[in-house]
Amino acid sequence: MTAAIPTIALVGNPNAGKSSLFNALTGARQKIANYPGVTVERKAGHASFADGRPMSLVDLPGSYSLTPASPDEAVTRDVVLGRQAGERRPDALVVVVDAANLDNHLCFALELIALGLPTVVALNMLDLAERDGLTLDPAILSRELGVPVVPTVAVRKRGLTDLLAAVDGAILSHQTQATVQSAPPPSDAALHQRARAIARAATLSENPVRRWTQRVDAVLLHPVAGFLILLALMFVMFQGVYAWSEAPIGWIEGGVGALQGAVDIALPDGFLRGLIIEGILGGVGSVIVFLPQILILFLFILLLEATGYMTRAAFLMDGIMAKVGLSGRGFIPLLSSFACAVPGIMATRAIPDAKDRLTTILIAPLMTCSARLPVYTLIIGAFIPNTNVGGSPVGLQGLVLFGLYLSGIVGALVVALVLRRTVAKGTAAGFMMEMPRYQWPRLRDVGIALWQRAWIFLRRAGTIIFVTTIALWLLLSYPKVPTDSSESQVDYSVAGRIASGLEVVVAPIGFNHDIALALIPAMAAREVAVSALATANAIEAGDDEEAMAQSLSERLQGRWSIATALAFLAWFVFAPQCISTIAITRRETNGWKWPLFMVGYLFALAYAAAGITYWTAVAFGLG
Amino acid sequence: MNPKLDSAQLGVAVRISRIDWDRMSHDEGRRLREFGLMEGIEVTPLHRGSLFSRDPLALAIGRMQVIIRARQAAMIEVAPTAP
Ligand SMILES: Nc1nc2c(ncn2[C@@H]2O[C@H](COP(=O)(O)OP(=O)(O)OP(=O)(O)O)[C@@H](O)[C@H]2O)c(=O)[nH]1
Ligand SMILES: [Mg+2]
Repeated sequence: MTAAIPTIALVGNPNAGKSSLFNALTGARQKIANYPGVTVERKAGHASFADGRPMSLVDLPGSYSLTPASPDEAVTRDVVLGRQAGERRPDALVVVVDAANLDNHLCFALELIALGLPTVVALNMLDLAERDGLTLDPAILSRELGVPVVPTVAVRKRGLTDLLAAVDGAILSHQTQATVQSAPPPSDAALHQRARAIARAATLSENPVRRWTQRVDAVLLHPVAGFLILLALMFVMFQGVYAWSEAPIGWIEGGVGALQGAVDIALPDGFLRGLIIEGILGGVGSVIVFLPQILILFLFILLLEATGYMTRAAFLMDGIMAKVGLSGRGFIPLLSSFACAVPGIMATRAIPDAKDRLTTILIAPLMTCSARLPVYTLIIGAFIPNTNVGGSPVGLQGLVLFGLYLSGIVGALVVALVLRRTVAKGTAAGFMMEMPRYQWPRLRDVGIALWQRAWIFLRRAGTIIFVTTIALWLLLSYPKVPTDSSESQVDYSVAGRIASGLEVVVAPIGFNHDIALALIPAMAAREVAVSALATANAIEAGDDEEAMAQSLSERLQGRWSIATALAFLAWFVFAPQCISTIAITRRETNGWKWPLFMVGYLFALAYAAAGITYWTAVAFGLG
Repeated sequence: MNPKLDSAQLGVAVRISRIDWDRMSHDEGRRLREFGLMEGIEVTPLHRGSLFSRDPLALAIGRMQVIIRARQAAMIEVAPTAP
């Protein structure tokens, strides 16, 4: 047993800084954000003691006690009590507590210490305690708790060496003294009383709570002003996605174009040149140009998460969420679904009520994820004039984008309302959540998280989008159209003929052959719709110099009516075109029932929405 | 009848005199206690509702701020703190 690598678990209240500590000790890049319930899974990593002996460190979801209220907290209980299937019980616990909120955090700490495992308390966020005018004595705390207490500032990597040394010592001394006292668990009230008494004893001096954060909240949580500020923030976010991305998009487009030119000169006409120029550079390149927009969107979301505003947004949204049978708690996973529905659906594990959680999972794909941005941007860029609304600084394109996001949100709320009265019926969900203190975003953390997102996006482009685009290029290029035929290559190809079949189904809602062609590969990932249009377009253009010189959006303008373009946008607000989302829904709901239900209702909605949009637009003479 | 937390004045500290544990679900009651909402504790209601709703309610308990729904706050009786 001594030869085995010891397993050490990080446990504690939500938002105490467990993941920050885990990252600092292991060099991992677990998600860190300033709201409770960020970590929803057990995550292991490697670290080593000062003398180089290895240890396995486990980061756990935050919890208030060993009695779980939500699926993520159940994981913590199972790991700590050694009930997790296939997992040994940890050899030691590091209980992470927020130094500025000992009254509350010591309750769980006391419960954990009573388990009798070797335990060390990390007195974390000491810097924030100082900011709040608290002076604490770790020695007194240690004496009262009966375990070593090490002051740490996880985000500045302070106190890590001492922490590991204390863990080492605790494991060693535990092996020599084998007495484990087991008293009956105290009542909640007794536990709290004891926690408060210890906190008071360890507090040397205390200034009244600083008031500036309360003044900020007086504005940001104001019933009317706060709500308007939330709306304004989201609005600025979507304007920013356009306004600030123009230049970098130009650079990437220029780069891709230059590469295409170079390949055109370097390679002889043939299979390889076509594949690279039309398939790879044309297809994948058309998706990569959206990287700047996606990063701007992520930057906004990361800043909201890091400052602690997310919980305030949940507070403001709770009234509306309650009306459709959800809770403000669900707003956080939904807002992260703006980035991507997959982590959004994972984050629902922090929702206590099962029906509330199921509903939130089912509507998460309606939040406009970043994969839709390329589709929206391409179509908006081609069909919505780049002007300002009535002389104001508000751009029309940004406004339309905002409208599309809003349609997704409103759609989600309406669907939730229906689901909560039908398939996910249940008692009204509650909403109890801790509100974190405000913090300045840490540039480094934001930078790393942005880089991670950029990497994930590029990897997607290099794998799933790359493969689907090449497959599509092959299906579009063969069989070759006979020279005497009047049909175009695209119509003549395998893919073209399949699309003609689908076109029959989607023609009533205004979709043409181009769209029918793009829809099937876009099942893999939404961005593929863009690369598919680009590839088909490049093949169609062939060696026609004039057509080649036209941009994709110029070509679309010539081929689609505005009504068709609007219908296409409406379709993408709802259509569940993402394999990963379907897979994660299956995993999180333990079966195929709900993912199939989700796909079914979303396609039905998409068809109806596109149809209504098309017919309305035609009625207004835009057909 | 004693005043309840859901109608308590914002910004004024009050002491919890009684909580109607029987009217709430087991889990609800436990989470309230985990937040430290118990008889004898001092809390300050800080913010209430947004736009068209009186829900939720943000409270300060010691150095912590928590959000609960008005429905739960209505089960918490409060009394003025001793001067
Ligand atoms: N000032 C300061 N901030 C910290 C410290 N440790 C963590 N934080 C911040 O506290 C917030 C929460 O940190 P996390 O590491 O995500 O907390 P966690 O305990 O893993 O939270 P859950 O996964 O939700 O249980 C983040 O905004 C961190 O940047 C610290 O020592 N000092
Ligand atoms: Mg965490």
